[in-house]
Amino acid sequence: MKRALIIAVDLVIMGLILFFIIQYANTKMHESNKSMIEAFEKMTTSAEQVITNYLEDEQHLCDIWSNYINRTAEAGNPMTAEEAIAFIRKAKISPSIYGHLIFPDDPSVSGISTHPAMKDSNDYSVSYRKISLFDDLDKIGHEDGGVSLTRAYTNPQNGVQSIAFMNYVTVLDENTGDLKKALLMRVEPVSMLEDKLVFLKGEYESVEISLINKDGDYLVHGKSLKNSNFFEYYKSYNNADIADYNKMIDSVTSGSGTMNMLNSKGEDCVISYTPLRSLDTWFLLAYIPAADLSTNTVVDWLLLGMVTVGLLILLVFNFAVLMVYNKKLSEAAEAANQANEAKSYFLSTMSHDIRTPMNAILGLNEMVLRDCHDEEIVAYSESIRTAGKTLLGLINDILDFSKIEAGKMDIINVDYNFVSLLNDLVNMVQGKAADKGLKLNLDIDRNIPMILNGDEIRIKQIITNILSNAVKYTKEGSITFKAGFERIEGDKDSVKLCISVSDTGIGIKKEDLDRLFVAFERIEEKKNRNIEGTGLGMSIAQSFLAMMGSHMKVESEYGKGSTFSFTLVQGVRDWNPIGNYEETFKRAISERQTYRERFTAPHARLLVVDDTPVNLSVFQSLLKRTKVQIDTAGSGDEGIVLYKQKHYDVIFLDHMMPDKDGIETLKEMKIITDSPNSETPIICLTANAISGIREMYINAGFDDYITKPIDPDRLETLLLQYIPKGKIAPPSDDEEDDYFIPDFIFKIDALDVNSGLIHCGSREAYMATLKMYLEAAPRNAEEIERYWSVRDIKNTTIKVHALKSTSRVIGALKLGDFAAQLEKAGDSGDTETLEKELGELLSQYRELAEELEPLSDIKSNEESDTRPLITEEDMKEAYTAILEFCASYDFDSVVNVVESLDDYRFPEEEATRFEAVKKAVDNFDYDMIPGIISGERDNGQ
Amino acid sequence: MNKKTRSLKRVLISILIPVLILSQAACSGKTEADGEFKPRLSTETECSIKVAGNYSNFESLESEFERFYEFYPNVTLNYVNLDDYESTIASALMSDEAPDIFVTGSWMLNDEKKKPVLEKAEVLSDPSLDIDLDCIRKGARWSLENGDVIMLPVFTRSYGMLVNMDIFEKNGLEVPTDYESFIDVCEKLKAAGYEHPIMGANGTTVSGMYYAFGFPLFCDNVLKNPGSVDALNALDSSQGEMMRPALEKLKTFVDAGYLDPKACSDEIEDDYNAVIMRFFEGDVPMMLGSGDTVSGTLKRESKSEAFSAAPFKYRFFVVPTGDDGGYFLDAVNLFFSVNKNSTNLDMTNEFIRFLTSEKELGNMAAIKRLITPTNDFSLDEVYSSLEGFPEDRYFSYQETRLNDNVNKEFRAAAYKVANGIMTVDEAVSAYGSLWE
Repeated sequence: MKRALIIAVDLVIMGLILFFIIQYANTKMHESNKSMIEAFEKMTTSAEQVITNYLEDEQHLCDIWSNYINRTAEAGNPMTAEEAIAFIRKAKISPSIYGHLIFPDDPSVSGISTHPAMKDSNDYSVSYRKISLFDDLDKIGHEDGGVSLTRAYTNPQNGVQSIAFMNYVTVLDENTGDLKKALLMRVEPVSMLEDKLVFLKGEYESVEISLINKDGDYLVHGKSLKNSNFFEYYKSYNNADIADYNKMIDSVTSGSGTMNMLNSKGEDCVISYTPLRSLDTWFLLAYIPAADLSTNTVVDWLLLGMVTVGLLILLVFNFAVLMVYNKKLSEAAEAANQANEAKSYFLSTMSHDIRTPMNAILGLNEMVLRDCHDEEIVAYSESIRTAGKTLLGLINDILDFSKIEAGKMDIINVDYNFVSLLNDLVNMVQGKAADKGLKLNLDIDRNIPMILNGDEIRIKQIITNILSNAVKYTKEGSITFKAGFERIEGDKDSVKLCISVSDTGIGIKKEDLDRLFVAFERIEEKKNRNIEGTGLGMSIAQSFLAMMGSHMKVESEYGKGSTFSFTLVQGVRDWNPIGNYEETFKRAISERQTYRERFTAPHARLLVVDDTPVNLSVFQSLLKRTKVQIDTAGSGDEGIVLYKQKHYDVIFLDHMMPDKDGIETLKEMKIITDSPNSETPIICLTANAISGIREMYINAGFDDYITKPIDPDRLETLLLQYIPKGKIAPPSDDEEDDYFIPDFIFKIDALDVNSGLIHCGSREAYMATLKMYLEAAPRNAEEIERYWSVRDIKNTTIKVHALKSTSRVIGALKLGDFAAQLEKAGDSGDTETLEKELGELLSQYRELAEELEPLSDIKSNEESDTRPLITEEDMKEAYTAILEFCASYDFDSVVNVVESLDDYRFPEEEATRFEAVKKAVDNFDYDMIPGIISGERDNGQ
Repeated sequence: MNKKTRSLKRVLISILIPVLILSQAACSGKTEADGEFKPRLSTETECSIKVAGNYSNFESLESEFERFYEFYPNVTLNYVNLDDYESTIASALMSDEAPDIFVTGSWMLNDEKKKPVLEKAEVLSDPSLDIDLDCIRKGARWSLENGDVIMLPVFTRSYGMLVNMDIFEKNGLEVPTDYESFIDVCEKLKAAGYEHPIMGANGTTVSGMYYAFGFPLFCDNVLKNPGSVDALNALDSSQGEMMRPALEKLKTFVDAGYLDPKACSDEIEDDYNAVIMRFFEGDVPMMLGSGDTVSGTLKRESKSEAFSAAPFKYRFFVVPTGDDGGYFLDAVNLFFSVNKNSTNLDMTNEFIRFLTSEKELGNMAAIKRLITPTNDFSLDEVYSSLEGFPEDRYFSYQETRLNDNVNKEFRAAAYKVANGIMTVDEAVSAYGSLWE
């Protein structure tokens, strides 16, 4: 997962946790707020009770006064107004409470007060004429113990805002002697009530308690409620329509409850309201800013903050830990990658390096096939060819696989001839199928366009893989190769190729189908252990198909057979149909003949540049019958020298060479202007067999390329293409090899000369090989004896193995077989046989060497040695270099130096030493070289 | 008679004009320089201040309370409406719960009965209080004979007309600036189909149309003839001639049909609400009234269906009855005085100091929609015509030294002449017995 994604996921989780906390806290807060509001409402109710009690008490006191006055009247001894006031003056305790006795029916609404007017200390009269207070007088007078209360008004006697509790009394009119109804008022400053309210706040610091009447006019009001009327105040600051306004009035004046509203500052506030009991026209309002009533959320925010910080720390910590682990992991991954790369590099290097000797093997084998007429030998040779090609296939698979793994595999589309592709495939599989007695059925759509565009090599590889597998896993029956195509709607330049291969083989179990395309997996390994393969083929094929936007389908019935199929979109370059391929193929089969060179060109001259002598030798051998003149060069520089000197019809240049590779050599050649070869085609020799290689070499300046191991047919085709037509002649029947083989050789019983010639390719090569065999014999025999003397079975066996191979090469078949027998004994640890037979083997070996001894007298072309004599200085320098390379185990460089010295003639006294060095190199006895050079070791050893 | 001569005779005005001009400059300068109010007491001070007055509702003052709380959050200010204010305020000031600030009026200065009230008032011009009285407009300043200022004007009113600006604009007319153009405009409006170019309440109150139409012109005449003042105050019938110019112009307007008392009676039931609601009908080019009338407009805009449906722009102008233009008769509507025995005198003075600024007084006036006592008319566009009003046609009521009786006599005369009850001559000769 990417770092950013991890952080994002972490943050989302953090967010969710915080979201949950906030939600939870909010819910709790709402619950808490709800309970706060309930508590606030309770406080309001309590306040209402206290106020009601107070008002009732005050009313009660007023009632006591009035009752007393009324009772005296009822008793027939009514008080006058003056007497009544005098009684009240005595009865009341608080100086701030006034008693007013008013005659409301009097036009001046006047009466007597317990206190004189402030303005005149002698004036006890009081008038309510200018104060409208008695609009609802009918409601006053009550036996029910209710409260008769005025609004807040200004006490005319002292100018103090007051409220008055009222009751009717009956007094005596002094003037008329009649009983008269008067209103007794217990007048109290509003501040007294306000003082009571102060104690009702309870736990609420900022609560303000107000009392309003049914019209909304305040009796008392707090600091925050403005206007003289609460309803007007509500209207002024709350954008309410008439309906809301009326609803609010209705709510407030009809029961208890709580409402939210905005105050004059636009702040949210809560008003709890309840009617005062016993006074149905008065209502208590408890005002508090909403913020003061909300739960104190500080703790929640603190908690939230702490959790956030904690989570962030956790995130950072985890991330840091993760980074450390990631670093370690990436180091491990890097190491693994490096190991894998090293493996891939090793595999590709190995496969490349194996291809080079394979060139020799297959090339020389081709010679055998061409030159030998002994059917048995030809059959062996065919086996070599088959095995070699199988090996080459395995190597190619490894090479491809390592490239796919390294991501270096590209799909390179080229135009190709579909028939040619079919030819290659069918040729490849036909032989194999026929060998196993399988019938190869072809079902090729004759309308498939002739020239397609795609990665021909990869397609061929995929189908080859499927076909090879089909042959491998089918014991009897047939293999059907079907090729068809579909047109693609809306795309006139492409077709969809449909390829399928069906067999009547062992089939695949359903459970194994998934493993089919896994690298190195081999299905039913035990059962199929004798079937060769790396287990890479199908994996590679599937990878290639994936790279080309397709995939392989498999249908299989275990025990009955399988069908592998795929489709592939290919560009079309030539819509001409390929025609009836099956017919063409059948004809070709019947006309197939043994190898015959397709032309001769005795006047044509080629230059081949390759650093590997055996490749040069194979190249020459392959073209021997064409009689083409071939010059060889062992390095780029050598090639350039020849390039300047002589005219060539075609130049073959190896790509991978030490010091100066093929491409560098080519570049240098192209710069040379006065060369006779400025028009000569230069063809690349390469062991790289990957798609796109042609383009690469063409771009590099080559005219064409040919892969190693060299396909003789392709080589001849190339030459036919590039050698001037005038120099091409029909093939000749002259097959004579006129190299001299001394008669005594033919007379040696232990030697089968023919077999030796086949193995060595030519008489000349045979003679050279015999000489080398002879020269190595004494030392080899001695070494075998020495190893055996200390019972070093391993090395003894290795030496015997070498003796087997070399003996068979020169045609000493019996000796070879004898050695093979003892090698087998050595491998199986059969010391008894070795003890018994080894002496005999060595004796036969030495005997043969003795018989070959006359060869040492034949000096091969030494007299005509025209090579320049090496200077003493150069020789010393070369030896020093060889010693240094030996010391650093750089044996490749040793070989290079020794090979370069081969271009020089050595003075006689040094020739023997140099030959000894060469021999040691040939025998891979590098450890002996320092001794030979220093003269400690006998040159002959 | 020139202004200088007149000013010498003024009893109540002790502040000289040159000083005025200078101080006016100083006032505006000071306001600009000082900018914001700076508390002088501890802002933590806790106390309660009571303002007593005769308004049942005093929202503009409560708005100032809120503003003051920004400086002194622990102070509680309360407005109390006293019943029967004129008689109870005296007792209230003597009581244990005496207000700290109380509403006063210019009439109290002449009323013996109100002496005890004014005696309680603190001298606000005491330099140690640092109250910026200089920001008060010349015509709104009232002081005692000794020069002490005990009353801070809060609202002022004038008399004039509400002008429907849209009608004038629509008819390509300018608001008249002198008597001649006034006649001309009325003629043109009549021609344009406005049957009654001028309307108002057909009554004898100060909010009635005759007071706004003629009284400022009458005052100007009195100011030009200061010798007549005492005789006028004594209701000497010989002084009826002073009313003639105003009455004659009124008669001209009635006769020309520019002003129709009958139509006004029919369509306008009272001198306040009905006047405003009739004006909001949108077809009256000029509606006569007082500053009190204007103060009621804002709240009634939404109550008038006609105005809500077709709102229009309107402004207050003085009535251009003079040959050179109209007269700005400056009358203080409401004063605040400080109870010198206040238990929280320092904070009370602090509140008054806070309030006495163009900004705060302007704010209060704008909410109440009365005329600010300062020179800054910018807070309420409706009074913008008063900005920079010419000095020679600007005077305060107290400058005339006329008493309330003269005022009433004029109102009665104008009403009677306009309604055809009396001729101008009859009214002039009946001076002293016109008010019933």
